[in-house]
Amino acid sequence: MKPTRIKALAYKEWREILRDRLFLSLAFIVPVSMMLIFGYGIKLDVENIPFAVLDQDRTAMSRDYLHLFMDSRYFDYKGHVQSERELEPLLADSKIRFAIIVPPNFQENLKAGRPVAVQSLIDGTFPFRTSTSKGYVIAINNAFNGKLLAGFISRKMGVPPGQAAALVEPVKVQLRYLYNQEIKSLWSIAPTMMMFILLMTPPFLTALGVVREKENGSIYNIYSSTVTRAEFLVGKLLPYLGISIINVIILWLMAVLVFAAPFKGDPLFFFLASVIYVSCTTGIGLLVSLFARTQVAAMMITVVVTIVPAVLYSGLLVPIASMDAASQFEAHLFPAMYYTDIALGSFLKGIGMGQLWGRVGALLFYSSVLWIAAYLLFHKRVRT
Amino acid sequence: MGQAALVAEMPVYPVVEVRGFCKRYRNQVAVDSVDLSIQPGEIYGLIGPDGAGKSSLMKAIAGVLSFEGGKVQVFGIRIDSEAAAERVKGRIGFMPQGLGLNLYAELSVEENIDFFAQLREVPPGLLAQRKRQLLAMTRLEEFRDRPMKQLSGGMKQKLGLACTLIHEPELVILDEPTTGVDPVSRRDFWAILAELLRERGITALVSTAYMDEATRFQRLSLMYEGRVLAAGEPDQIRQAVPGSLVEVTVEPQIEALRRLKAKYPQVEAVGPVLRTFVDGVSSKAAREQVAASLDDLSVEAIQAVDSELEDAFVALLRQRKLAGQPAAGAAGTPLAEPPASDEVAIKARGLTRDFGIFRAVDQVSFRVIQGEIFGLLGANGAGKTTVIKMLTGILPPSAGQGQVAGADMRRARQAIKEHIGYMSQAFSLYQDMTVLENIRLYARIYAVPRSQLKQRIDWVVEMAGLQGVEDRLAGKLPMGIRQRLALGCALVHRPRVLFLDEPTSGVDPIGRRRFWDILVQMARVEQVAILVTTHYMSEAEHCDHVALMYAGRIIADASPVQMKQALQQEAGQLLDIATDRPLRALKALEQAGFAGVALFGRRIHLLAKDPQQARQQIESRLTQQGISLLDITPRIPSLEDVFVYRVMAREKEARSQ
Repeated sequence: MKPTRIKALAYKEWREILRDRLFLSLAFIVPVSMMLIFGYGIKLDVENIPFAVLDQDRTAMSRDYLHLFMDSRYFDYKGHVQSERELEPLLADSKIRFAIIVPPNFQENLKAGRPVAVQSLIDGTFPFRTSTSKGYVIAINNAFNGKLLAGFISRKMGVPPGQAAALVEPVKVQLRYLYNQEIKSLWSIAPTMMMFILLMTPPFLTALGVVREKENGSIYNIYSSTVTRAEFLVGKLLPYLGISIINVIILWLMAVLVFAAPFKGDPLFFFLASVIYVSCTTGIGLLVSLFARTQVAAMMITVVVTIVPAVLYSGLLVPIASMDAASQFEAHLFPAMYYTDIALGSFLKGIGMGQLWGRVGALLFYSSVLWIAAYLLFHKRVRT
Repeated sequence: MGQAALVAEMPVYPVVEVRGFCKRYRNQVAVDSVDLSIQPGEIYGLIGPDGAGKSSLMKAIAGVLSFEGGKVQVFGIRIDSEAAAERVKGRIGFMPQGLGLNLYAELSVEENIDFFAQLREVPPGLLAQRKRQLLAMTRLEEFRDRPMKQLSGGMKQKLGLACTLIHEPELVILDEPTTGVDPVSRRDFWAILAELLRERGITALVSTAYMDEATRFQRLSLMYEGRVLAAGEPDQIRQAVPGSLVEVTVEPQIEALRRLKAKYPQVEAVGPVLRTFVDGVSSKAAREQVAASLDDLSVEAIQAVDSELEDAFVALLRQRKLAGQPAAGAAGTPLAEPPASDEVAIKARGLTRDFGIFRAVDQVSFRVIQGEIFGLLGANGAGKTTVIKMLTGILPPSAGQGQVAGADMRRARQAIKEHIGYMSQAFSLYQDMTVLENIRLYARIYAVPRSQLKQRIDWVVEMAGLQGVEDRLAGKLPMGIRQRLALGCALVHRPRVLFLDEPTSGVDPIGRRRFWDILVQMARVEQVAILVTTHYMSEAEHCDHVALMYAGRIIADASPVQMKQALQQEAGQLLDIATDRPLRALKALEQAGFAGVALFGRRIHLLAKDPQQARQQIESRLTQQGISLLDITPRIPSLEDVFVYRVMAREKEARSQ
């Protein structure tokens, strides 16, 4: 390998990228906007669910019951309606996502010791949001039941209300959330998004950059010259690796400064692990570019080979541990999972090389396999 | 041979030796048992239409394409593996096909050259020196810092050449370097190439799809569908085909054409002239035979002429039964009495179109009458397509007026569309539909009445010679047939005006001839007005009337014959000079101050106002230099000569302002 030729290739590529506005924005603006859009867009916390109320009882007790919902930060009270028919269009237009109907004689029945059924209507369009909403409804309902029970015990047994409450709920669950104390999903989303964006954009750029040369024929300058295969691959990809490393820094700064995610680990360790990760994802792009002949095809293949593992097998949506055996196995085949662990570990847990060396090793291995495969598959004397 | 004499002292072994070369793509045979041998210092040509296998062969020689059979030896090294190919790559320069596509659009002229030099490890000192020379020679010096994407087609090709030569290879392989480049730049390119090769003793393998560039080569191989039809010096190839060519000007032309077609398989109408190739007889006998079959018509002129390489190529294909049956379709159309009309079919006045600050078309005016074939000539980017788009109502003009088939271009777009046929550059056929389905679809789109549907479809099939392929998928047809189908689809509603935008790019000469047969028939018999654009200058000779476009303007507008006469009056007689040392003679004549001096293979062309005086000057000048003059013949200039002269004059004018 001759450094002068590698330098010539890399310098040429770098200037081409800098002068091509479209490509340059693809390189730097896309990752940043993805971080902003997804960071704010994928909020897994369900809060402020808009809801309306139909109170057919209009008594002190029904108002007490409904106020539990209105005062909750999870629900956003939109108003009372007069009949059940008014609810339907509101739900259909997504003006509200939840409605609660208190039947007539709510107070009277309860006082008489008869059970009552309160109807709640929940928008089931998004199962995740629905099940969360359902959880909130049940929890609030339980709280109301508990209050009623405590009042009853207090009255019957003549104990103070505080003691009665303890009697009603003898075993209390005490929760302490570790690593993400406020269970803000944004804290864990920001590092996960770094995984996602750094898996998607480097292969895109690399594949487009190489296939562009194949498509317009300038690759023949390489084929017909005395540049070696290794020189070409290294020289051609250095600028793309450089762009991705700059993006690592930009995205890290965004995660910390814009999304206020706490970074508890070792910045140097995390940086180096990220460099290995992007060299790995750049390798994916390189491999794709060897098979694709047109830029359009390269883009399609890149989307398939990166988005699927990024979404399904990285721990982004479903934790790896809760997958079935086959999916867990598949997850281990993609680099995304290892980096998710590294990113979350560095950000939230503050762990480093001591605990994560296995993951870093896996990425290193993955990266070498990709680059060696690309080297072996790239030929300067082609069949077509 | 001029070049051979220069290198006579070197041991002569072939630079390239190819034996029984075969290349397949999947199951498709691209090249089949081709032999080739290139001697040091020669410019060797590969000529053939698209799909002849030129690129595959060149890539294999450059060591960038593997192949299935045969032997390729370059500089005595057998290229049979990637490692073997690497051993010769340092001594080869390869320029792939495509106008400037192998260059880097975002880099400047100088940065492109520097990059190629660094790839080839040219030391900085040497690079500076070579770069200076190459930039001076290609006259790109003043554009040193201009990004490659802002260069014209001709400049891109010259830059490509400079980049290919920066490491001073011993062999350069240039794949269609002149395709799509305007004639002026093409001539310029050939002159530069000839000079560079001569100076450095470089061997060259160059391919082209233009038959008329054959004279640029010392030896060449004529290729067609993966095979070599003939190889050798251009003159040898022409003379090796048994038969003679007769040109006749006769009235009524269409009747003469019909009679000759019935008798001879190779007849074409070029403007007012009918060119007939008579197989296997001497020129005298051929002339007599043709005259005999036209004896009761009024023959204005008849003469036997030297056949062009294209004539020889077509004759070879025919004689070896490689081409399909001769154009029966066009001749079979019933001859109707031509409705005499001088009606104006297309009238353009001051047509102008701006794209942002760029003026693509500038004050274009012309008229086309019914039954006339009107050619709009110019290089890529001259504004031809924009003119057509404005006249067909696809693109609104920035200024100016146009009338097509009696309707105003701006107001009656719909009416115009009903009376015109339009065939675009990329034939707009549905690839996954059969031939008949395509025709039927177009008939419906143009609202051909149901009662006439069958009749019209049958007419299209017959006229375009599509019998036998009616049920084949359009996408699976060879280029030539697909092109005739597209023409048929454009004619299905019997338009009065037909627009054709570069209809013959990439089609082989036989396909082109059959296509023109149909056009001549449509114009002469059906009185359709035809506006056709092309960058094949040889093809423009078929037109009744020609307008030359350059940088958005029309710079000449007349019939081909008038144009040539005007050139002769203005610039003088075209002389064709043969010498024993063409390259030295070229330089001597240039220094002597002759106009339009250009090298064509081993011959030199120049323009002289007073041919007699010029003869003496040439003779004395060459004798001074120790060059012996073999022959001087006066020639009728080609349309390409006209174009080059007009554009050069225009450029000179622009510079002096």
